Amino acid sequence: MADIILNPYYMQIASFILINIILGISIYITLSTGLLSLGSAGFMSIGAYTSALVTMKLGFPMPLGIVSGAMVAALAGILVGIPTLRLSGVYLAIATLGFGEVIRVWFNNLEITRGALGIPGIPQMGREITGSLREFGITPDMLGLRANQFSALILFFILLILVILTVWFFVRLQRSRIGRAYAAIKADEEAAEAMGINTTYYKVLAFAQGALVAGFAGALYAHTTSFINPGDFSYHRAVEILIFAVFGGSEVIWGPIFGAAFLTLMPEVLRGLADYRFMIYGVLLIVMMAFRPQGIIDYQVLDWLKKKVKRNKSASPLDKQKGGDA
Amino acid sequence: MNWQQVINGLTIGSIYSIVALGYTLVFGVLQILNMAHGEIFMMGAFIGLMMVVKFQAPLPVAFLAAVLVTAILGYLLERFALRPLRGKAGVSHLAPLISTIGVSIFLENLAHHWFGAETHPFPVSFATISYQIGGVKISLVQLTIFIISITLMVGLSLWLSRTKAGTALRATAENIETASLLGVNTQKIITLTVVIASVMGGIAGVLVGMAFNAVSPQMGLEIGLKGLAIIILGGMGNIKGAMVGGLILGMTEVMSVAFGYSGYRDAIAFLMIIVILLIRPQGLFGQSAPQVRK
Repeated sequence: MADIILNPYYMQIASFILINIILGISIYITLSTGLLSLGSAGFMSIGAYTSALVTMKLGFPMPLGIVSGAMVAALAGILVGIPTLRLSGVYLAIATLGFGEVIRVWFNNLEITRGALGIPGIPQMGREITGSLREFGITPDMLGLRANQFSALILFFILLILVILTVWFFVRLQRSRIGRAYAAIKADEEAAEAMGINTTYYKVLAFAQGALVAGFAGALYAHTTSFINPGDFSYHRAVEILIFAVFGGSEVIWGPIFGAAFLTLMPEVLRGLADYRFMIYGVLLIVMMAFRPQGIIDYQVLDWLKKKVKRNKSASPLDKQKGGDA
Repeated sequence: MNWQQVINGLTIGSIYSIVALGYTLVFGVLQILNMAHGEIFMMGAFIGLMMVVKFQAPLPVAFLAAVLVTAILGYLLERFALRPLRGKAGVSHLAPLISTIGVSIFLENLAHHWFGAETHPFPVSFATISYQIGGVKISLVQLTIFIISITLMVGLSLWLSRTKAGTALRATAENIETASLLGVNTQKIITLTVVIASVMGGIAGVLVGMAFNAVSPQMGLEIGLKGLAIIILGGMGNIKGAMVGGLILGMTEVMSVAFGYSGYRDAIAFLMIIVILLIRPQGLFGQSAPQVRK
């Protein structure tokens, strides 16, 4: 049983789904102020390269490496954001697209990143933790698992916990002063400004938060695949991340989460269509914009789902009792 | 300064200008970034290449075929990716941007599927002919590219300023409602704009194929990104800005290679726009409100 579920191929898809969910959240944050950034792949690559280099060259422990990757990406986000956010949405889209390209060309030329060859042998999260657990006397065979199954399982749970924490943070953020400011700016920037919201501050903040989360996802990606090269973070990656939000829906945070999970899984399920996969992506974008520009999941769908869950709950006697107690 | 570099820079730059004109025309009229422009350009290059290689057609026929196919692609783009979104309530201003990204992904992968991922050489029968003027060598290919580009630019300028359709296009760019009230069929003008922009892209595609002797599905992205950078450099929706911006970019790139920074050649376009955005966000020739001018 464990052999079927813990098949390395399935585990890898599961890890990529989780990382893509974090990427989907990163673009959702910037979109929630009505800004379109095409630089998420650039920020992701900054996080990945920073974390890979500081752990390998400076001997940073991995958690510190991941945090510094995210921080450097956020810093880059602030530096790019301040000049470009004065401009309208279209300028921002091009400028961030350009930023991503400049970063990619830069990593392609730097000596320390080994250019187009990429960086192999980045410490892998699952394996590292399995190693340190062994020092404490916890070994995979205590659970009846092989070493690679155990490390894949650990990787999966760590990513899952990080995804839950990220989602939880941004769900909370939406109900805070900051989240309401974002929503106000998205609805009408001038009205928001008239209401006394410092729009520039919140736009840069949203942009930096998006960069932080993208860099975080990039660092996790580096320590999951243990190999990165500049080609991993091209324009196509940026577009793929954008599609998570556009397809899933960018009104509510569950949209990009659904989009990332669905669109990572879909091509694996439809392996036979692999050749047409990106053509389908393209058509999907056009059709979505024409018929459902808000994405699959919006407030109405969410309300409908909530109602349905509630009805199911009230139908079960156990929950009724619980409700009565409260 | 080395005159040979100047010639090379102007040749590349004039093609960049044509690509940028395609973007700027659509932006001027519709306030939309046509992200599929680079891929239509790439399709033009492939059609030209196929005519030359598969059907042994002479170059003018190859150009004609590229023009025809890109005109159709332009029409389809407007019909299926832009028109359904226009005037619809509740559509964000980013929706057309995203749907043209959809078209670009579709076309790139279609080309990938049909023609393969590899880079194809573009054989030109007169590739070896060149002229020596003073100390400068100009190949017939360069001369052809330069003449076609300049003709296109002058032609477009004259068409915009002297003809009725050109005036209608400028009026639509100025204010779509007013133009419509004054009896301009704005729907027709919008379609015409997208078709003309696509045709310019298609011609530029064949020219780039000739200039670099290379055609690949990825070329649309490379040149498309540069075209986007140029319209920021020159000012969004500004015709003169696109022309001059293209020449500036071509010159700068050739200079960077001459000074030994060839690895960063593809990043120059964006380093330039970052500087421009900091000093003069409306672009070199832009006014605070973007509009198509002669």
